[in-house]
Amino acid sequence: MLSGPQKIRVKFSKTGSLKFISHLDLNRTVKSAFLRSKLPIWYTKGFNPHPKTVFSVPLSVGTASLCEFMDFKITEEVSGEVICDTLNSVFPDGLRALEAYEPTTKFHDIGWADYEIRMEIANADTHVEEVSKALQAPIVIEKTTKIGTRTLDVTEFVKILSVTEEEGRLVLRVKLCCDDMNFVNPKYVIDFLAEKTGIPGEKDDYSVCRTAVYREDGTTPFR
Amino acid sequence: MKIPERILKKVEKPARYTGGEWGQVIKDKNAVEVRFAFCFPDTYEIGMSNLGVRILYHVLNSREDTWAERAYAPWVDMEACMREENIPLWAHESGDPLKEFDILGFSVQYELCYTNVLNMLELAGIPLYAKDRDESYPVIMAGGPCTYNAEPIADYFDLCMVGEGEEVIEELVELYKEHKKKGFCKKDYLHEAAKIEGVYVPSLYTPSYNEDGTLASFTPLYDDIPVKIKKRIVKDLNKSPFPTKLVLPFIQIVQDKITLEVYRGCIRGCRFCQAGMVWRPVREKTTDVLCEQAKVLADASGYDEMTLSSLSISDYSCIDKLTDELLAWTDERKISLSLPSLRVDSFTKELMEKISTVRTGSLTFAPEAGTQRLRDVINKNVRKEDLLRACRVAFEGGKTQVKLYFMQGLPTETYEDLDGIKELAESVIEEFYRTPNRPKKAPGVTLSTACFIPKPFTPFQWEAQCDMDELLERQKYLDSKIKDRKIKYNYHDAKVSRIEAVFARGDRKLNAALEAAHKRGLRFDGWDEHFHYDEWLKAFEDAGVDPAFYANREFGEDELLPWDYIDIGVTKEFFLRERHRAYAETTTRNCRETCNGCGANQLGGERSCCPGLKK
Repeated sequence: MLSGPQKIRVKFSKTGSLKFISHLDLNRTVKSAFLRSKLPIWYTKGFNPHPKTVFSVPLSVGTASLCEFMDFKITEEVSGEVICDTLNSVFPDGLRALEAYEPTTKFHDIGWADYEIRMEIANADTHVEEVSKALQAPIVIEKTTKIGTRTLDVTEFVKILSVTEEEGRLVLRVKLCCDDMNFVNPKYVIDFLAEKTGIPGEKDDYSVCRTAVYREDGTTPFR
Repeated sequence: MKIPERILKKVEKPARYTGGEWGQVIKDKNAVEVRFAFCFPDTYEIGMSNLGVRILYHVLNSREDTWAERAYAPWVDMEACMREENIPLWAHESGDPLKEFDILGFSVQYELCYTNVLNMLELAGIPLYAKDRDESYPVIMAGGPCTYNAEPIADYFDLCMVGEGEEVIEELVELYKEHKKKGFCKKDYLHEAAKIEGVYVPSLYTPSYNEDGTLASFTPLYDDIPVKIKKRIVKDLNKSPFPTKLVLPFIQIVQDKITLEVYRGCIRGCRFCQAGMVWRPVREKTTDVLCEQAKVLADASGYDEMTLSSLSISDYSCIDKLTDELLAWTDERKISLSLPSLRVDSFTKELMEKISTVRTGSLTFAPEAGTQRLRDVINKNVRKEDLLRACRVAFEGGKTQVKLYFMQGLPTETYEDLDGIKELAESVIEEFYRTPNRPKKAPGVTLSTACFIPKPFTPFQWEAQCDMDELLERQKYLDSKIKDRKIKYNYHDAKVSRIEAVFARGDRKLNAALEAAHKRGLRFDGWDEHFHYDEWLKAFEDAGVDPAFYANREFGEDELLPWDYIDIGVTKEFFLRERHRAYAETTTRNCRETCNGCGANQLGGERSCCPGLKK
């Protein structure tokens, strides 16, 4: 028995159909999975008991991820392995628990994230140079928030990792700032690119996946 | 999932279209003999909530030889993308186009989704009319409440299942399999299917009409198919299949909870109510069976809410025992229990305290009519005192808001009855202030009125719907009468109700009107923003049919009705008797007090309160 509820962090991936559900719906999905799992999850006391699940940096609807995190509490000691296996037996496809452990960091410590953007465009190999070049210029975007649309230079918050052609697709890897103040949505980079080069075009399919998350220094993996 | 991601990124609620939910059934399509898709002609959120589809999805997928999938009407934003890029309507599980399936089973729940059926067929690349579909297309079936009068949609469907589908759907799949093995011939299949009890094959019956447009005859094409189609019922509800696994939606749906079906049928016999008649005879599940099923569903779903479902839940003979036994474990499992609206005469303090939805929010009661006279006409068997007593219990329990449902335009309704609605609301407010330990907040009453729609298989099936101008006038009248700001008055759009009335009592001549409406781009008629009355009137004109003939005409008692070829157990004689009692303002006692000889007991089954009940 634990003396009090113990905090658990689960690193999980969100791919396939799951990438099209919102943060709120992810919460619902996890909540029902918790009840199916019969794990000793800690619930809030009160009229409407619920597991207090906290998720890391929000992910846009439509973006996949290999490195999401959620924190919750358990009331009895369970090994990380058992937590992962149990959750995976009740998670829908597309939601996979990768690791479970007692956290020593705060979500607030997250500073940067890597994204992989795969574009289905014709003759991808011929566009590599054009795209690389376009991304060397200052990246000025239109950011729309609750208070309106502003023009912002986000160059210092965007690091281009690579532009390549892989299996006929144009693959762009970027590291983007994701602290509270300077969060750069990968969509901004795609829109910037589309405006500059016409890539991806309106009919070109593309997918976005968050592949890694780092601390403020941009190099230490967040855990 | 084969929809391009950029489309999914563009549309509202993309999780409506992706499939991949927990609990969905995936099979190897090459390892099954029959591929079936349940098609729900409304949005994902509504379709996913349907208990019938949940049950039948389970029934068919329990068969090794069949893979049943789901499809829904795409919302208009997705539809636009599909049309632009020629993406055919697909099934959620496999992502395969519906056209490739063996059988499509439409769940037709209400008249206003008819245009969606046509739209879905078109989006699937399937010819609308059954006669234009050869063996290369799926067999298109219909089930659900609308098949009690499927005539307005008869030309579009190859066959209709009348009544409860658990057994008949398997028989139809089995038959399909046999015919597929010997080289599928649609004509032969339909002829054989028509011999199965509860199956109606519209193309095998020919109507003829009198000069005035009424039905003259309705003749089967072959001697070996029934002249009257008897609805199917599940004989023993305790043994009826029930889903042990639910498909858990990613997004919030309308009934986002476990629906525990407690019993079928209704002992009451309100004279406007179709459900109360067509679901007869009353068959209950035992408390033991229900508790067992509730546990299985809780384990399998992970839902934290459960609702008990039936037409009038408090009439379940063991409601106290059931709620006690469920509450014994639901709290610990973090599951809250809820009940659909309750009858005022059975609403008690004990029940209110037990049930959580009653604990939160407002309470809803349905007196249906404003005066005792009119409540007697419709056989509601609820008195003003009952309502006020129920409200007092609610107020004592801390409630301040009461919602009251009424119908306007009921047969014999006068302006006095409308005044009665207002007075009833005022009495509820007065009752609040007469309650000594009332909450220290202002009370509120919300009046919601629907327009009366005469429905087949009810004692009011012959009645004319109140003329639309008159309906509007009565809504305006009531609105002007209500002065108290604690009383809010909402009413249904009379135009929508009129279209519903046309199709509810329609015949085959309306198929053309439906096609015309579809051609005019109508769909999602049940959604305010997509309902266009003027377009509907033009559609009727295009097809040369008069909506008033169906909605606003009193049908003759000796007239052959479009749905007379269906036998729901309850007899036309009973409906006539009840109609005459209505005009005499005479009530009829409920089935538990006495048998009124409605005829439903001839269907057999493990009935709960019909004479001749097997012990």
